[in-house]
Amino acid sequence: MTSSKPVLAISAIAPIVLLAIVIAFLLGPASTFLQFGVVLPEVSIEKVEFIENEIQATVRNTGPIDVSVALADVNDRIQPAAIEPDSSLKRFETALVRIPFDWNEGQPYEIGVTVDDGTRFTTQVDAAFASLEPDVDLFVFLGMIGFLIGVVPIMIGLLWYPFIKKLGKNAFNFFLAFTMGLLIFLGIDAVLEASEISERHLSSIFNGELLIATVVILSFLSLYGIGQKLIKTNNLSTLSKGLTISLMIAIGIGLHNLGEGLAVGAAIALGEVALSTFLIVGFATHNTTEGLAIAAPLTNSKAKIAKMIGLGLIAGTPAIFGCWVGGFSFSPLFTLIFLAIGAGAIFQVVISIFQYMKDKSDLLSNTSLFAGVSVGLIVMYLTSVII
Amino acid sequence: MQKLVQSTKMFYILTAIAAVSSLYFIVPGVTIAEETPKTFLTHTGLVIQTTGEVIDPIGYDGDALDFDPEKFMKDFDYGEVSVLDDGTVLREFYITARDDQIMEVSPGVFYNVWTFNDSVPGPTIRATEGDLVRIHFTNEGSKPHSLHFHGIHRAEMDGVFESIGTGGKFTYEFYAEPVGLHLYHCHVHPVEEHIAHGLYGAYIVDPKEPRPPAEEFVFVLNGLDTDFDGENNFYAANTIPFYYKHHPVEINVNQNIRAYVVNVLEFDPVNNFHLHGTLFHHYPAGTDTVPSGYNDMLTMSQGDREILEFSYKYPGLYMFHAHNTEFSEKGWVSSFLVKENADDFDTKVEYDDII
Repeated sequence: MTSSKPVLAISAIAPIVLLAIVIAFLLGPASTFLQFGVVLPEVSIEKVEFIENEIQATVRNTGPIDVSVALADVNDRIQPAAIEPDSSLKRFETALVRIPFDWNEGQPYEIGVTVDDGTRFTTQVDAAFASLEPDVDLFVFLGMIGFLIGVVPIMIGLLWYPFIKKLGKNAFNFFLAFTMGLLIFLGIDAVLEASEISERHLSSIFNGELLIATVVILSFLSLYGIGQKLIKTNNLSTLSKGLTISLMIAIGIGLHNLGEGLAVGAAIALGEVALSTFLIVGFATHNTTEGLAIAAPLTNSKAKIAKMIGLGLIAGTPAIFGCWVGGFSFSPLFTLIFLAIGAGAIFQVVISIFQYMKDKSDLLSNTSLFAGVSVGLIVMYLTSVII
Repeated sequence: MQKLVQSTKMFYILTAIAAVSSLYFIVPGVTIAEETPKTFLTHTGLVIQTTGEVIDPIGYDGDALDFDPEKFMKDFDYGEVSVLDDGTVLREFYITARDDQIMEVSPGVFYNVWTFNDSVPGPTIRATEGDLVRIHFTNEGSKPHSLHFHGIHRAEMDGVFESIGTGGKFTYEFYAEPVGLHLYHCHVHPVEEHIAHGLYGAYIVDPKEPRPPAEEFVFVLNGLDTDFDGENNFYAANTIPFYYKHHPVEINVNQNIRAYVVNVLEFDPVNNFHLHGTLFHHYPAGTDTVPSGYNDMLTMSQGDREILEFSYKYPGLYMFHAHNTEFSEKGWVSSFLVKENADDFDTKVEYDDII
């Protein structure tokens, strides 16, 4: 502890400065010496939209070198097109390729771009579908969808509150464990969905899988820290501790539903799902269990109805915002990050519930725990099959 | 406790950094400024309104590329002519092969072409039946190359078994026979690669009694596989996709036209040629004096040649293209602008009006 502050600062900065020198050397004098192998351009078509008499493709330079887009094609037939803002793309830069084309609804299309060295990059659209006009109708429609898959089922799930409240200690533990099962399933589901988006829409340059892992862990750790602080520093009674857990669950599920809403909104906007009432029914059934998860920790307290509704809204309304954002401007990276944050949040909630149960029960009822988690997982699986 | 609070803070900071840095990727085109859109007319007749650039294979400004099909189609190389003691006409040609050139084959698309005399196709070699053809061949490429001529000649002049290495020279010599439209190309293995990259050209042997006077054009039907997947990315008459669509070949009403059509397309077994607004008499390989048909369609396999003779009754803009529309939509689409009278006709204006 004798070292002065300047010395400390220097010892912190010195490695960074050295690293900067090494990088400068590698990029500068050593760049020609270290050149090895053939550098190939890469362009990804991230999004294809069908508007009246026009196909719009968002392209991104995902390669190691700058490229310029020379041609566009539809089904491997060269089409004149416009590119905005311009045809040269630096690393990571995107541009919008607008191809005037009288496309047919429901028909599959292959959209391609050819870059300056003559390499052609393509993407496949299973069925052309008119992009939704960003108007009030769509706003209301997406909001309705978000409301139906987010808010409504959670509110319904909360109605189990009086029933769970009347149960004995073991049954109560069972339902808490059941909640854990539901949440574990939701967390895994979110990670899988995120990796599917990574595979379908995200270029490999973003290391989608690693990004998911990173965000899940960061999200888990930050929320865990916040949760611990909330519970410990305020020195809460057991009664409000239950409420805190519920709040944490609601926030976790809210983050999850935001990601889910983004995915659903995007799927609607991109025409990837035939949106049927059946699908909405499936989502609603699936998400009802989320309400149950919020209600379970509250059973030891006399929760006010207003508070319950508040918790339900915290968990449910993000689905509406998700639908709006996903429907109006889909960004695969954004959706992936939010799904991963949701997953981390949910795993954090699982740990919180586990600790809560451990603190509360003198003897942790193993039977209730395992049975609850298992039943929770199975119920979630079965309701997910409907979707 | 203190540690916990600190670590929580750290996570806030990390999350904030991650969020801000990811914004850069999430929000594409943050810097879209409001600009007045420009209106462009494309080669398919579509109108595009954009604040950006137009990517159209003909090049909106119509700048000349590295190869000029306009010049090539009328460019015949008769060689350096001298007469031998026995009265035979000697025609000497100098052909150099290279394989290191990058050519802008379509606006914005750059491709490594392999060339005879810096050109794809190579020069159109033209001689009269019975002439002695002497070709001084130099290989300045990094790979072995050769010249293989179609026609009648000795085996050692066939250019197949003796490939000429880097820096090597060889003199091919043969009499021009038979009369017709022939082909020459590099025959070094893998031949498909050497041809697909551009090592070929047309070889015309005129009859001693000249063919009837006509306006003559050479159309070498070829393709370019710019991404090396064994399929052509571009098709064309004379290398540059869509060129003659944008710059129609100008002829006159009732003018006799003779087209030398050579198919050197690789990867696709069949190419074809369809003429609008009139029909042609055609002579397979140009070896016979009697036309084998009167048609507006020609189906040609790899290496097939045909001489076409036709004229137009009415003025206007007429297409000629591959009736295999995949090829035409990838560049093998051209047009004739038939003028009433060469003198009183401003072609540029007329063309724009028609479009």
